[in-house]
Amino acid sequence: MRFRFCGDLDCPDWVLAEISTLAKISSVKMKLLCAQVLKDLLGEGIDYDKISKLTADAKFEKGDIKASVAVLSFILSSAAKHDVDSESLSSELQQLGLPKEHTTGLCKSYEDKHSALQDKLRETSLRLGRLEAVSWRVDYTLSSSELKEVNEPMIQLKLQAQGAESGSAETTVVSIAADKFRVLLAELKQAQTMMNAL
Amino acid sequence: MVVLLNRLPVADCPNLCHRVVDGLCGREPPRRGDYSATWSLEEWLELLNSLTALFHLAVGNNSSDEEVMSELSDVGSSHAETVLCVLRSRQEEIRHALLDRTTSMSSATLQDFDWQLKLALSSDKILSLHIPLLSLSLNVRENGALRPVTVEMNKEELNTLISSLEAANKVVLQLK
Repeated sequence: MRFRFCGDLDCPDWVLAEISTLAKISSVKMKLLCAQVLKDLLGEGIDYDKISKLTADAKFEKGDIKASVAVLSFILSSAAKHDVDSESLSSELQQLGLPKEHTTGLCKSYEDKHSALQDKLRETSLRLGRLEAVSWRVDYTLSSSELKEVNEPMIQLKLQAQGAESGSAETTVVSIAADKFRVLLAELKQAQTMMNAL
Repeated sequence: MVVLLNRLPVADCPNLCHRVVDGLCGREPPRRGDYSATWSLEEWLELLNSLTALFHLAVGNNSSDEEVMSELSDVGSSHAETVLCVLRSRQEEIRHALLDRTTSMSSATLQDFDWQLKLALSSDKILSLHIPLLSLSLNVRENGALRPVTVEMNKEELNTLISSLEAANKVVLQLK
């Protein structure tokens, strides 16, 4: 069997196994658990105390709790990754043996957060550096040892960028002659126009 | 000692002077081999240095014709005329070269840059990404060595950069 939320591949065995763990808690509790996992996926932080309370009456052990969080996390992020609509997800999860009420709760939560989840995934996709801040200063050079009367503006530019590895901030300070600066700006605007046309 | 110039026939003088200016502007300077019959090595170096210094100073200080001619007082008048003529015809070029040197006095200067516009299609996180990204690569000359700096920007980051540069450009335009 191939599943759309698994990217048209077989469902991983561990997911299949843990779906039956999910069925052990009530559908209402599972929906609340879903909300916590979604919070985690959206980067808002997860409340582990709440999770252990939610799973307390099902007599979940630590391993079961971890497994249910992991399987929900997989289902939700993988479905969002492959842009599966909630009806398809619902029918696929039921084929995998998740009870109907559980599926409805999960898919409702998924539907609500579908676009937020995709935005988050887009945002956290690999980036080879990001621009964080730009500072500039315009200098007017009056004279130099090479040339008595210079009278040319010069631009000092400071770029704060994040490198490919997270947390590797890089600061570049560079001075640019006025004519080069004009070319740089003109070309960047050209690129911007092309970018906006996409 | 510019006086050594007198040994060269006047007809060959413009060629040598132009080559000296070439050297000053960062291109190929005259070759000693072409003039080994006229000057010894020591004389050659001396002449080359003093001619270069003459061009450099004349443009650097914005000297008048008279000032240049007084510097050239011990050279034959037709030689001196030739030097002055070369100086005036290439004044702008020399000024530009000196301006370049002035700019590159800073610890890090922009040598050149390249950019690349890409459309990110897909990633391990999401199948359909569809985000345009601009890679800007700056070649920064720092203490004589070139250091590449690359930044990848999305639409918002590029907008931030451009509006910053625009603001700076506004000031630059007011200065002109």
